[in-house]
Amino acid sequence: MVLNELGARISKAVSSLGQSMLIDEKVLDGVLKEICTALLQSDVNVKQVANLRNGVKKRVNIAELAAGLNKQRVIEKAVFDELCDMLDSGADPKKLELKKEKGKQQTVMFVGLQGSGKTTTCTKYAYFYKKKGWKPALVCADTFRAGAFDQLKQNATKAQIPFYGSYKETDPAAIAQQGVLRFKEEGRDLIIVDTSGRHKQEAALFEEMKQVAAAVSPDIIIFVMDGSIGQAAFDQAKAFKEAVEVGAVIITKLDGHAKGGGALSAVAATKSPIIFLGTGEHMDQFESFETKRFVQRLLGKGDVSGLMDK
Amino acid sequence: FVSSLAMNVVGKSALSRTDVEPALAEMKRKLMERNVAEEIAEQVCDSVGRGLEGQRLASFTGVASFVRSAFEEALSGILNKRAVDVLMEINKSQVRGKPYVIVFCGVNGVGKSTNLAKIAYWLGGHGKKVMIAACDTFRAGAVEQLKTHCAKLRVPLYERGYEKDPAKVAFEAIRQAERDGQHVVLVDTAGRMQDNQPLMRALSNLIAVNNPNLVLFVGEALVGNDAVDQLTKFNKALSDLAPTAAVAAAGGGPSARGGTDGAALARRHGGVIDGIVLTKFDTIDDKVGAALSMVYTSGAPVMFVGCGQTYVDLKKLNVKSVVKSLLK
Ligand SMILES: Nc1nc2c(ncn2[C@@H]2O[C@H](COP(=O)(O)OP(=O)(O)OP(=O)(O)O)[C@@H](O)[C@H]2O)c(=O)[nH]1
Ligand SMILES: Nc1nc2c(ncn2[C@@H]2O[C@H](COP(=O)(O)OP(=O)(O)OP(=O)(O)O)[C@@H](O)[C@H]2O)c(=O)[nH]1
Ligand SMILES: [Mg+2]
Ligand SMILES: [Mg+2]
Repeated sequence: MVLNELGARISKAVSSLGQSMLIDEKVLDGVLKEICTALLQSDVNVKQVANLRNGVKKRVNIAELAAGLNKQRVIEKAVFDELCDMLDSGADPKKLELKKEKGKQQTVMFVGLQGSGKTTTCTKYAYFYKKKGWKPALVCADTFRAGAFDQLKQNATKAQIPFYGSYKETDPAAIAQQGVLRFKEEGRDLIIVDTSGRHKQEAALFEEMKQVAAAVSPDIIIFVMDGSIGQAAFDQAKAFKEAVEVGAVIITKLDGHAKGGGALSAVAATKSPIIFLGTGEHMDQFESFETKRFVQRLLGKGDVSGLMDK
Repeated sequence: FVSSLAMNVVGKSALSRTDVEPALAEMKRKLMERNVAEEIAEQVCDSVGRGLEGQRLASFTGVASFVRSAFEEALSGILNKRAVDVLMEINKSQVRGKPYVIVFCGVNGVGKSTNLAKIAYWLGGHGKKVMIAACDTFRAGAVEQLKTHCAKLRVPLYERGYEKDPAKVAFEAIRQAERDGQHVVLVDTAGRMQDNQPLMRALSNLIAVNNPNLVLFVGEALVGNDAVDQLTKFNKALSDLAPTAAVAAAGGGPSARGGTDGAALARRHGGVIDGIVLTKFDTIDDKVGAALSMVYTSGAPVMFVGCGQTYVDLKKLNVKSVVKSLLK
């Protein structure tokens, strides 16, 4: 995952502190500049980067630092805390993990911008849980995009997962409802609803998304975001969150060169954690994700508890 | 931002680098907020800054318009690139009795197939007979997606299903189009990541074998810093990895149209991308910076702008309004 490249640059900047005999305002500014450039080149929201810079400077008051303290450690911890704040949705990802309960049938709805990877990711998600013993099923509620049902059908067939959709029905809410009902009757315990791509500028599309959500009352709504998205990420993610109850985020296409910073910014906008990463077009190119672990990797720290205690 | 500049230079005779530095830093921030890639914002500000150094200012009011117009000029200069007149080129091919071939390429999910369909609709409106070639033989539903568009547009589709060699499907499609007297062949290709070597090689092979008249790179306006890498690597891979015409011929591939189109062949050894299709322009509000990153990196013009999901949502780039959004 190329996100690591960003981590390497940040930890290099932080560790360069160790080389300067005297850590003063100027040295700190230099390190922050390096970190901020790395973040900006990774598409993190420009305002968030400015906030991070100010946040670190506030946490580390160089002039007032007691003589005995290890300045490098203090700065390192400040950067870590700021990054965690930026990435931390506040929600507990453990609570979002699907738990198998007898008799319980979960419905999951996928939403996102056009072409972000929803349909592909639906199957990956279903396949992931199928391997864990769940009985997933896929519902195609995208009645707009040409070939959408064929796409889901072909993917589902390959993964040997039952699917539902229609070439004739034009109302996505109706078809979503029928599909979910059918699979509940058939006793599937994980019903995944794929929807059309949409964007905040078109109100009718957001209205449609609300109708689908109302029709299937999903247990969780997953927002799928392209890892290469730039500065438009925050506003779009925020609008989705305001329209429906987004509970988790999946970032796709991280097998490419993009570092995913735009999508990371979306976490702040949706107040929802990233739970999976898409790393290829194939069904099994899918990784689970945890913020803490990720930030640790960003800073090149295997064990962060030591850092936190000092 | 100009206020910070004004403070420093009033009463001075000529601008120095330190005079303009704060204004440039603010400008860079603004460009990045508008989704210009960091590296490109840096380079543009740097070159505008160099142009400003040593300039003389007559009066206080002159400063604001002075810096603004320097950026305006620089940005318009970057974005205003001459593009081929597609309709005229098609007419020329028609005279020779050859179909005009356009290949669409780009990373996954950016809107290649959809905007190809929009362009088919646009060409139809200009009385051109269009055939679409389904050369995304990989992604699930890709063929059916085009089938649906072709039925709606009443345009013939050449397809051989999935898992076929895309270069070969394109080749057969072009021959079929020639027999049927089609004016244009639009070749859809699978999305691919720019550093996926095998897939990039397959694309350059398709281009080398079929020697299209026009190679369009499709990029979405949503993309951030990756725009630079995408265009650099598509251009590079397509020129580096392309087997020479001789090799392609020896391998049984046709260099069929090479004879009549020597110029196109020569061009293939320089940059490969002839133009950019900038999609999803309706999803980004004033964050129009990807247009600048893409054109600056590739030197290729934005030939079409996709601004919606229906056939009529296709426009020409309005450079003036993009520059305005960038500087607003
Ligand atoms: N390389 C790569 N490609 C991906 C990944 N996830 C999805 N894709 C590709 O991205 C493209 C778009 O994916 P879709 O699943 O069709 O996207 P979507 O969000 O359903 O699109 P719409 O329904 O049109 O809004 C396809 O070519 C997928 O194969 C990923 O993790 N890596
Ligand atoms: N809002 C908006 N959506 C667009 C535009 N162009 C394409 N789309 C949507 O983007 C999604 C992906 O479009 P496709 O044409 O399938 O993209 P692609 O590049 O062919 O995708 P792959 O072949 O899977 O790589 C679809 O939902 C399209 O409707 C546009 O200009 N504006
Ligand atoms: Mg889809
Ligand atoms: Mg396509």
